[in-house]
Amino acid sequence: MSAPILDVRGLVAGYEPGLNIVRGASIHADEGEIVVILGPNGAGKSSLIKAIAGLVPVSGGHVLLDGVDITATPAHLMIRRGLAFVPQTENIFPLLTVEENLRVAGGVLARGEVGPRIDELFSMFPDLARQRRLAAGSLSGGQRQMLAVARALIVRPRVLMLDEPSAGLSPKLVEHVFARLGEIRRAGLTIVLVEQNARAALAIGDRAYVLVEGCEAHEGPAKTLWDDPVIAELYLGQRRATS
Amino acid sequence: MNLQFIADGLIAGSMIGLGAIGITLTYSILRFSNFSHGDLMAWGAYATLSLVAAITTAFGTVAPIWPLSFGWPLIVAGVLAMIVTGGLALLLDWLLFARLRAKGQAIIVVMASFGASMALRSLLEFVFTSSPEYFSRAIQMAMPVGLGIRITPDQIVLLLITAALVSAMHLFMTRSQTGREMRAYSQNPALAQVVGIDVARVVRATWLLGGALACAAGIMVGVLVQIRPLMGLDMLLPMFAAAILGGIGSIPGAVLAGLIIGLSEAAAVQLVGAEWRAAVAFVILMGVLLIRPTGLFGVTER
Repeated sequence: MSAPILDVRGLVAGYEPGLNIVRGASIHADEGEIVVILGPNGAGKSSLIKAIAGLVPVSGGHVLLDGVDITATPAHLMIRRGLAFVPQTENIFPLLTVEENLRVAGGVLARGEVGPRIDELFSMFPDLARQRRLAAGSLSGGQRQMLAVARALIVRPRVLMLDEPSAGLSPKLVEHVFARLGEIRRAGLTIVLVEQNARAALAIGDRAYVLVEGCEAHEGPAKTLWDDPVIAELYLGQRRATS
Repeated sequence: MNLQFIADGLIAGSMIGLGAIGITLTYSILRFSNFSHGDLMAWGAYATLSLVAAITTAFGTVAPIWPLSFGWPLIVAGVLAMIVTGGLALLLDWLLFARLRAKGQAIIVVMASFGASMALRSLLEFVFTSSPEYFSRAIQMAMPVGLGIRITPDQIVLLLITAALVSAMHLFMTRSQTGREMRAYSQNPALAQVVGIDVARVVRATWLLGGALACAAGIMVGVLVQIRPLMGLDMLLPMFAAAILGGIGSIPGAVLAGLIIGLSEAAAVQLVGAEWRAAVAFVILMGVLLIRPTGLFGVTER
């Protein structure tokens, strides 16, 4: 078996010293996989991927990307290492145009490469192409989320991490956004997804972790996790009747 | 009614506007009010004066370009001094502001900028004394341009240079990658890091540009009025008024508001009395902020 593309080992992290929110979490993602991280509120899901992305101070453990140790790399260099992150809220620059939002993230690419890459992204996201000259702040919630994803893809990352892409979206839009993530994965990208919306996430996920108190408590194929009654009741707050 | 106040106001306003660009950039990107910005202007003017003296020593006295009061040494010295002043702003950031910013309290950085302001001003007084200096003592004849307005060739050229600098700055902010990064960073610093923007580079660009434009404003004041260590401090309040009136972070806003303040100050001198000059800027500022709290071109934060 080949080594995972993203390998997080015993990560300890927190905003303040002595107050760790992530307490020795170990997760991994294989190439081309969609990995879902679930868990109750306050379990440290967001903090975990922010720590992986270099946004929360790490005090222990390792993050390996394709075998290279990227632990606690400054956040703005993560994208150069091949790790992209889409925050949950405020994930676009509202006063820049849609195109500028993409262009501003293309600083890592060679000068002549940015234009063609933006055209590629616009053909993947035709909705955005139609509004390329509008201020990004005027986009709808779903389009903002797609813009944030498109911007994360501009420098062709190896791994894309998303913090609750379904937050604040209508069920129909959630379905749309998740379908796009499925398509992006088929293009060869590895996706790590933190979600409250367990049902939608497990439907597109390959494998899932349940995070409890800053540490992974369960791991398994996405399909079986959804059907496990103990996990469902304890951690997913599932209303069985809806499934 | 004498319309001379229009020319006077536009000229004063473009100096205020040029200075206000630096203030609005520091405020929106580094998130503090830099009260030492006026002293960067004064340093820019003195740097230019010293460089003109050096050029004159090296090449002998150079005749002015007719019909202006200055020759090529001032232009060369001005460009060099803009770089020097940008460098001084960087140095100030490295010595003082960056260290305090790291501790995260904006008010401490603001207070430090008061201290920097006093230190910079005292250094100028120490080196150059507080008596005024001039780039040229020649008297320029103001030419009538119609409607009873008179304007000197220097004033016309400096207005054109201001227009060119402001347009270049606007193009830089909207078309260049660094300009886009600066705008992105001012909107959301955390997200800027996530998308791979190098914060240190944005901070450097902000100081360099702010310092260079402060120097340009200082040279204008020097050419049209005089050079004094207090010249920047005198303009600090109108510059802040322009930055706020224009909407924090907006460069066109800062320049337009600078012109509005310059014009209304000049009009007040003529219509109300010279003692009301300084008050007018603030009456307008308060009036606009009551109706539109974000300023003319400001945008509500998120």
